[in-house]
Amino acid sequence: MISLAGRDIMHAWGKFVLTGLGLGLLIGVTLSMAGIYRGMVDDARALLDNSGADLWVVQKDTLGPYAEPSSLYDDLWRSIRGMPGVARAANVTYLTMQVRQGEWDVRAMVTGITAGEPGTPGWPPYLVAGRQITRGHYEAVADIATGFRLGDQFQIRRNHYTVVGLTRRMVSSNGDPMIFIPLKDASEAQFLKDNDAIHQQRRRTVETPAFNRPGIPDLLDEVIASQSTNPYVNAVLVQIKSGYVASDVADSIRRWQRLQVYDRIQMEQILVGKLIATSAKQIGMFLVILSVVSAAIVAFIIYTLTLGKIREIAVLKLIGTKNRTIAGMILQQAIALGLIGFVVGKITATLWAPIFPKYVLLEPLDSVRGFVAVVIICVLSSFIAIRAALKVDPAEAIGG
Amino acid sequence: MIGKGIVIEGLKKRYGSGETAVDALKEVNMQVAPGEVVGLIGPSGSGKSTLLKCLGAVIEPTAGRMKLGDEIIYDNGWKVKDLRALRRDRIGFIFQAPYLIPFLDVTDNVALLPMLAGKPNAESRKQAVELFKALDVEHRAKAMPSQLSGGEQQRVAIARGLVNRPPVILADEPTAPLDSERALAVIRILNDMAHRFETAIIVVTHDEKIIPTFKRIYHIRDGVTQEESGEGKDFQ
Amino acid sequence: MKNFALQRRTLALLAVLLPLLALFVYVALRSGPLAPIPVTVTTVENRAIVPELFGIGTVESRYTYKIGPTAAGRVKHLEVQVGDLVKAGQVLGEMDPVDLDERIRAQQASLKRSEAQLLEARTRRDFAQTQARRYEQLLAARSTSEEIAFTRQYELQVAEAALRSAQEEVHRARADHEAVRVQRRNLHLVAPVDGLVTARHIEPGTTVVAGQPVVEVIDPENLWVNVRFDQTHAYGLAGDLPARIELRSQAGVSRTGRVLRVEPLADAVTEEMLAKVVFDERPEPLPPVGELTEVTVTLPALPSGPVIPNAAIQRLNGQAGVWQIDDGEPTFSVVELGTIDLDGLTQVKQGLKAGDQVVVYSHRALSSNSRIKVVERLPGVQP
Repeated sequence: MISLAGRDIMHAWGKFVLTGLGLGLLIGVTLSMAGIYRGMVDDARALLDNSGADLWVVQKDTLGPYAEPSSLYDDLWRSIRGMPGVARAANVTYLTMQVRQGEWDVRAMVTGITAGEPGTPGWPPYLVAGRQITRGHYEAVADIATGFRLGDQFQIRRNHYTVVGLTRRMVSSNGDPMIFIPLKDASEAQFLKDNDAIHQQRRRTVETPAFNRPGIPDLLDEVIASQSTNPYVNAVLVQIKSGYVASDVADSIRRWQRLQVYDRIQMEQILVGKLIATSAKQIGMFLVILSVVSAAIVAFIIYTLTLGKIREIAVLKLIGTKNRTIAGMILQQAIALGLIGFVVGKITATLWAPIFPKYVLLEPLDSVRGFVAVVIICVLSSFIAIRAALKVDPAEAIGG
Repeated sequence: MIGKGIVIEGLKKRYGSGETAVDALKEVNMQVAPGEVVGLIGPSGSGKSTLLKCLGAVIEPTAGRMKLGDEIIYDNGWKVKDLRALRRDRIGFIFQAPYLIPFLDVTDNVALLPMLAGKPNAESRKQAVELFKALDVEHRAKAMPSQLSGGEQQRVAIARGLVNRPPVILADEPTAPLDSERALAVIRILNDMAHRFETAIIVVTHDEKIIPTFKRIYHIRDGVTQEESGEGKDFQ
Repeated sequence: MKNFALQRRTLALLAVLLPLLALFVYVALRSGPLAPIPVTVTTVENRAIVPELFGIGTVESRYTYKIGPTAAGRVKHLEVQVGDLVKAGQVLGEMDPVDLDERIRAQQASLKRSEAQLLEARTRRDFAQTQARRYEQLLAARSTSEEIAFTRQYELQVAEAALRSAQEEVHRARADHEAVRVQRRNLHLVAPVDGLVTARHIEPGTTVVAGQPVVEVIDPENLWVNVRFDQTHAYGLAGDLPARIELRSQAGVSRTGRVLRVEPLADAVTEEMLAKVVFDERPEPLPPVGELTEVTVTLPALPSGPVIPNAAIQRLNGQAGVWQIDDGEPTFSVVELGTIDLDGLTQVKQGLKAGDQVVVYSHRALSSNSRIKVVERLPGVQP
């Protein structure tokens, strides 16, 4: 017996492959959607992994530093460092902003890292080019996604920074690439107003009689100086000594320092469960719609293909072809269409994934799931066409 | 050698029931011997199509008897279980249009029937090609139906009707789209084949061009057949 | 002919499907998580490290003179503008004397009157002396009475006392006069040294309190940079070390200098060490005081030893170390690190020797289970 489905596909392969390509693009979009969701979750995880911390100490009653603003005094790390079980504690600041380089700017999360050696919490754990920061000021390690190259200079607030190292996959939970600069510069950038605002502020202070007293000539200078310092950071990253349990150390910090402390699992819950929850649902909704649309399109295509062959099916039935054979033919065509679509979809999704501005993570397991879903959708969609084919009366071939 | 033609006695077909019932076939009696080509002629609505469908085992008659070769296939009810196999193996169909399967080449269009019956592909194709020789289309054996002329297509359709060597072939207006020369050529082939394969052929037609060629004609009017002898004109 | 047509269609179909399948397989493998991680390696070298310290400072004047009146008063006029060079002793401005000149005149008159009184007293005394001497001679000749002679003697003593009083009165009046004149002179605001006017806080007509600076003068020969170094890396910072100073307004132009002293008091709040760095030569044009500078202090070179780039250093389970490749598998070697220079070259005290290969860059974070592939340059990194 010859394969009727195969012969039919071979006969009109151009149409078939083109239809498959179209379906493939749709499947590619669906796979990319799943990839975007995975990418978002992975962004959140990457942020936590790359910070190199076991515990995050943040302002009391906040979900900081990523999901909510948090602000701590910059000398707090000293008392946290003294807590039992703490191996390292480091200040860190996060500020998402547009970073300018000449004409263009890029959205980035500027991370202030405390001085030290590589491996200090907050530092980029690995590089793809260049070196780690060695100077205490005006050097930066940028993620490759920012588009910066080694040696580039860019501006944050009023200071120029030189890119000395490049990282990869160092992103905020929003997927913005990270730029690491020394903490002192970062906290200045975070709280420093523009020169105009500082000037206005000074003028206001000068005009306030309480601060500008003739009898105390130095008071004004001191007041102005105190207005332009910033003793705050966003969080303290803590690495714990081996042999200690993270939750115990967290408990003691919470109890004695009266601060909020999150461990890795809680942080992931905050990021994945709260920060990107709505976006994830949005994408989930899109996935469902795309699946339904794909199913509908496969169903329409197969149905149309079958309706175009009604006369042939009637003849086939008249000359004694079994229903099973005809149903098999349609089913095989639907699955073949799904296969071409899946292959094209997987290829396109992989090829266009790097072009997306945000990270698209195509997990192999998702591909397998997608494949199973495509086959199931194709089988289900072909049922309408099979039903139509089986209803064809062989008598229709006779006497028109 | 194959079968002994077809015999139909008192065949009736009623559509619907009660007051709206329509008697499409009231009394059909036919007898076609192997090797014989008979015409079945009637105006529209006379029951031609219904008769053909009953003969083709796609609709069930209401009463009567049908005998195909030695076997009674209908006697107030089907006596054969697998009507599909009956259609496939023992009744050949030739339609008004060739109705070839467009995605199969000429050989496979014909070889499909033996294949459906379970014969190996190679043997089925051999059987088809043999027929093409007889029908003078063997040079087109690898072509797709769309590449064939109308006459060639019709000849392939005839080959499909013949390939399983059925005792009876039902031809439904086989010459309708053809000019008189080609129409006569088709009739000539049918006669030739009927003779060569000992097959009874019933040609349903109202084509004036070919009516004179039949030796025997069944007229059907309001569901009743009436046998007449035809002119049996020598068309060669 | 027909055969060929059929074959051509089959070929065309294969021509579309086969590349598609090949692409699919490639894509499925390439994006897999098991794809090997590209890494680059470098060889540990023996090198002498010249550690350097980098700090940020502001240009400050070593000596700043705040010039103002010693008593409350109103500024009468100011001779200098910001940016003027002044000489030591130059009058920069003057306070309003108010009634001081009138008081000087009054004192002058008072002095003259005292001097006149002195003259009168002296004349009286001279007359009394003459009289006293004559009656003494008359008494010796017994031509007058002893009583009259005694009276003349008494009158002489009174006249002498009056003369002394008049003399003291002149002294007093002169001192008074002198005092007011000194006071008058003190209203001049005078430059104490050769210098540069950096601020003019008050305009003429303004009343100032005692000690409030009116004009500030700095000594341009004595500028220094107040530099802040992060405490983490500041080991080895000491006086007399050579330094490179880069002014913010002249980026790319570096001037030489040296560390004058390291402040004994560090900044506890900002966790920084403070040091004063002086220029070897006076910078021209003179940088404005308060300008931001970047200072790089060169520490003495260290003896040669194995060094690695700091990009190779990673921390695993709290221990610093590097990834090495052993038989194609990444293994983590714990190292003890020494000093680092500003180019990121880090001395390895223990754990590595020259000639060892270490992983510098990797495309993803490594673990001991990672499959790796050594490449020249990581994908996506431009040269």
